[in-house]
Amino acid sequence: MASLPALRLLKRALLADHLVLWLCLVYSAALAPFTPGFASWGNLQTILAYAMPILVVSVGLTLVLIVGGIDLSVTSIVALASVVGGKVMSADEGWLAGHALAVPAGLLAMLSVSAGLGAINGLAVTACRIPPFIATLTTMMLVSGLAIWLTLSRKIGGLPPGFVRLGQELWLAGMTAGVTTWLAHLALSCTLYGKWLYAIGHNARAASVSGVPVARVTFFTYVVSGWFAGLAAILFTAGLETGNPEMARDNLLDVVGAVVIGGTSLYGGRGRVSGTVFGVLFLALVDNSLNLLGLTFYTITMVKGGAILAAALTDALRNRLLTQE
Amino acid sequence: MKPLRRHPHSVLHPDPSRAAGPARLAARLTASLLIAACVVGCNKSDSTSPAGEEPAGKQLTVGVNFETLQTEYWVAGFEAIKAELKGRNIRIVESIADGDSNRQLQQVRTFVTRKVDGIILVPKDAKTCIPAIKAANEAGIPIVLFNRPAAEAQGVRSIAVVADNRKLTRETVEFMIGEARKTGKQHKGLVIVGDLGDINAIGRREGFYDAVKGQEAVVNVVAEVPSEWNQEKARSGVVNALQAHPDISFIFSSSDFLFPSVVAALKSANKYHKLGELGHVILGGFDGDATAYQMLVDGYLDATGVQDVYFEAERSVQALLDRLAGKEVPSLIRDPGFVIHQGNLEAKRERMWGAQVGRK
Repeated sequence: MASLPALRLLKRALLADHLVLWLCLVYSAALAPFTPGFASWGNLQTILAYAMPILVVSVGLTLVLIVGGIDLSVTSIVALASVVGGKVMSADEGWLAGHALAVPAGLLAMLSVSAGLGAINGLAVTACRIPPFIATLTTMMLVSGLAIWLTLSRKIGGLPPGFVRLGQELWLAGMTAGVTTWLAHLALSCTLYGKWLYAIGHNARAASVSGVPVARVTFFTYVVSGWFAGLAAILFTAGLETGNPEMARDNLLDVVGAVVIGGTSLYGGRGRVSGTVFGVLFLALVDNSLNLLGLTFYTITMVKGGAILAAALTDALRNRLLTQE
Repeated sequence: MKPLRRHPHSVLHPDPSRAAGPARLAARLTASLLIAACVVGCNKSDSTSPAGEEPAGKQLTVGVNFETLQTEYWVAGFEAIKAELKGRNIRIVESIADGDSNRQLQQVRTFVTRKVDGIILVPKDAKTCIPAIKAANEAGIPIVLFNRPAAEAQGVRSIAVVADNRKLTRETVEFMIGEARKTGKQHKGLVIVGDLGDINAIGRREGFYDAVKGQEAVVNVVAEVPSEWNQEKARSGVVNALQAHPDISFIFSSSDFLFPSVVAALKSANKYHKLGELGHVILGGFDGDATAYQMLVDGYLDATGVQDVYFEAERSVQALLDRLAGKEVPSLIRDPGFVIHQGNLEAKRERMWGAQVGRK
């Protein structure tokens, strides 16, 4: 049968760890000669600056998906944290306007509020046993409403220059995103916590029987996801110099899409931080290159939707192949 | 009990190779950076103009970025700018941010990467566009903000072509008050305001209150509905206001695109009647879109303040060209706009963009 080797090759490709990395490289190499300005240092900086806050949110979501949950509230948490940061630090209307401790207090407030909201999600899922989809959807609505109510839809400007540098100086933003992503990768691949996450995502009951503290680990993972959203809020808010109750509102599809493209299973129990890095990179590359090619907004949206759909189908196929083995 | 599936990271079957995870990630990242560097290196010649295109200087390229194309007004503005640029043989690079400030910043940086000669931008809002303007400033690319000015920021240079929202709204509402006065009774008024993070929405709200101030004998404002430029919020707000004040008979909407919401609410309260009919609610708006035009033609709308899209498109492009030619350009160019109503519909319809959109 002539098609058998081809099928084997397809199966290997589908199960390969580096599928998205290769996809990024092939895509870049294929488009570079035809896309004006695509392969330039300036454009690489643009792509990285755009992708880094999304990467940070996505890493948090990766952990939640691996444990078998979902967190739809991450972008709303970003919005509320952005508002809280603005309310604390803004020279125009901040509670600590002009104070020497405004920036550290603002950062602390943003991260604490986000982790706190993650804890609420975690409690809802573990203690109240509300399905993660509903629990985090509810949080998303509440938190979005709260962010708008706190600001009456106004944007908060006048953020301190020291804070703004965190999002606008590429090396600082890169270091923040890089170090936290690296830590998440280490936690997932080298620690007991990581192994517990995979075990719970695979089969929570079996994990529990094996002695894994399922509820505590799941709760903690939602807290971590919230914390990552807070960190992303710092990068978003500093990058745009504005506390914004609508910050990242339209990025949820990008975040979920990037995680899924990166190979994290929507069924739980499978996924890697490195995959998410490449998933985010892939979507950013697609977005950027199609813009550079001058394609219309509608085309770009359709291509991105198609890429995410293909990734979801691949995930389903991978899942089937793995269960057959 | 469901059996534990085979999994490389299972707590029960740990994969020894996982210990090398960080090293593997580092190797992968290094590999990708190396290949990216090679690709960058191979294409260093890519600079001023796209491959296969004319050399720089022969034809100008302008990047046009809109934050959204969700309403007819923005679509009409987008088309008017493109027509204006094409008419002057200027190449266009376009992108839409889909309401995302972060994406808009990336798209403006993409224009900078492409070394466009000028940028026309509809910012998401007055504040989040500041980094995008700074990026253009740093690259020495002139940037014109179409219809939405930026907030004041130190060292940030841009040209804004905007309607005088406050003045045009005041004129529109003054016309409506004139119509209300003719009825000889006191009207209860309602105003729908937009997203108060949008400087245009603030201007329209202020214009409304400028006009009604001191006119309490004619119009007593009993409700203000915040819409955040959302049709559903506008509809529920108007429905609630009509329940609280069933005798509201004077409504100003800060944008014509909210009229479907107003009409739905009025119909459900059985208050949607033509001019001259008993129970007509005096209606006014702002923008001059196709819905407003049709409502004027059908005799339901009293007046709307029309932003002159064609004027704004022409001035935006001209301002860019003037700046590129080294001429002095004011940082704020005002579109005077005009109020259209039943009395001047025939004379003014040619300049009403909504009438042209409707015709297409």
